[in-house]
Amino acid sequence: VQILNPDSLRIPEEPGATPCLLGNRCAKCGTVVFPKMPVCPSCRMTGTMEEIELGRTGKLYSHAIAHVAPKGFAAPFFQAFVDLPEGPRIFSLVGAECPVEQGVLEDGMEMRLVIEPVAESAERSGQLTYKYVPARSTRGART
Amino acid sequence: MREVAIIGVGAHPTGRFTDKSLKHLAYPAIWDAMQDAGVEPADINVGYVGNSLGGLLTGQEGIRGQVVLQHSGITGIPVINVENACASAMTALRGAWLEVASGAAEVALAVGVEKMHVGDSARTIGALSAVSELELSEAGMQFTTSYAIHPKMNLKARMQEYGWTVRDLAKPAAKNSCNGSKNPLAQHQRALSIEEVIQSRIIVEPLTLLMCSSISDGAAAAVVCASDIAARFTSKMPIRIAACELRSGVYRLPGDDRPDTATTCAHAAYEKAGIGPEDLDAIELHDAMAPAELMLYERLGLCDPGDGPKLIDDGVTTLDGRVPVNPSGGLCSRGHPVGATGLLQICELVWQMRGQAGPRQIEPWPEVTMAQNQGGLLLGQDSAAYGVTILKS
Repeated sequence: VQILNPDSLRIPEEPGATPCLLGNRCAKCGTVVFPKMPVCPSCRMTGTMEEIELGRTGKLYSHAIAHVAPKGFAAPFFQAFVDLPEGPRIFSLVGAECPVEQGVLEDGMEMRLVIEPVAESAERSGQLTYKYVPARSTRGART
Repeated sequence: MREVAIIGVGAHPTGRFTDKSLKHLAYPAIWDAMQDAGVEPADINVGYVGNSLGGLLTGQEGIRGQVVLQHSGITGIPVINVENACASAMTALRGAWLEVASGAAEVALAVGVEKMHVGDSARTIGALSAVSELELSEAGMQFTTSYAIHPKMNLKARMQEYGWTVRDLAKPAAKNSCNGSKNPLAQHQRALSIEEVIQSRIIVEPLTLLMCSSISDGAAAAVVCASDIAARFTSKMPIRIAACELRSGVYRLPGDDRPDTATTCAHAAYEKAGIGPEDLDAIELHDAMAPAELMLYERLGLCDPGDGPKLIDDGVTTLDGRVPVNPSGGLCSRGHPVGATGLLQICELVWQMRGQAGPRQIEPWPEVTMAQNQGGLLLGQDSAAYGVTILKS
């Protein structure tokens, strides 16, 4: 098993510690980006970006059920954008514990980060990545 | 900068052409454009060839421009390969325009060509995903999502914000299919009802199949030259390039209140051309997912936020309206062979401005027109490339 983008994800080995994303914060203007960039997109300085942990939680910005899927993914599946409290708005898939049904997700709901295989297909199941699920367990969620 | 005119255009029909590769698709478009312009291969000083997916889909990773042009008899000149996702062809036109405007060339050729039917639609869809920055595509972002819920367009949120209905989202596809039904080069030549568009299967909610452009092969070309020598080649009305602007996407964080990049690019073009949106007589715009047309009305300055559906309801953008939009049928009906689309838009506008558009001819013939083309998706919530060309007769 490998991590899809190891530079973007921290999966702690200690039991009980929660995983998080790794991004950058500009020491000069405070802009936070994910994934990392060497130049701040706001003040366009280089040498000012510091690594930060982020994205343990987020707020659902938008979501939709996709009924077609790229190779290696299975439809129907959720597509989502999540606002991280640190600033960035990022694309994410939704974790498998969340059933792919209308009404399960609501924009604005609190989300939490989970680590899962990118997809269940043979070519993607060996890659771990981040996804988000509702912070409170969803109706009909698998246990 | 010298004034530059388009003196000839040509297009290959869009659709499925199983036996044709890139060079076979481009050849008739190039020669139609050269014959329309009255030029020979030896008159062409420089060639810009736009293509996006040919490396992944045909295996011809490099030198596609030289391959395509040699097949059409154009050799021994500077040839520049252009890749800018769905805006590749508009970018090729910009290169050709700059060559002539700067005085480096007298006559330049711009070509856009795409081969998408390769017998395996999963491979084609995979290649389309590759025009998004890799972190997005490998994380499972479906390209239609960039119109459905991506912050840059977010048609789903617009329904809440503006009170748009599914019926409103279906209106551009229905309107444009009506135009496409009169276009013999169009991929889909059947006029669709709003109901049919709504009832087709959902791709990514709220977008249905008939709101989405489909896989297509095609090619288009334009010959440009310095305006003051146009009469040497042809007696046809030269079409001046009043502006040909290009912008890359902008890294945006939530709460970014800067104008959309489609707006920035259009405004730059308006300024260069010395006109405003009210001066346009016809527009071809980038409706890869047809409801995007409603958002682009706002972003090009045609209406206030939320008023897009009203422009269609009031007949403003229909073929007989004040400013017809997508007279060719647009990307969903005329077709969207991605690296050819920008020049297919230019072909349509040139034909309309010269009165050569047959049953879909706009009356009176438009004199000031715009083609708007965009493509790709970056991390940072913006498309990668935006192009706007303004033409004057």
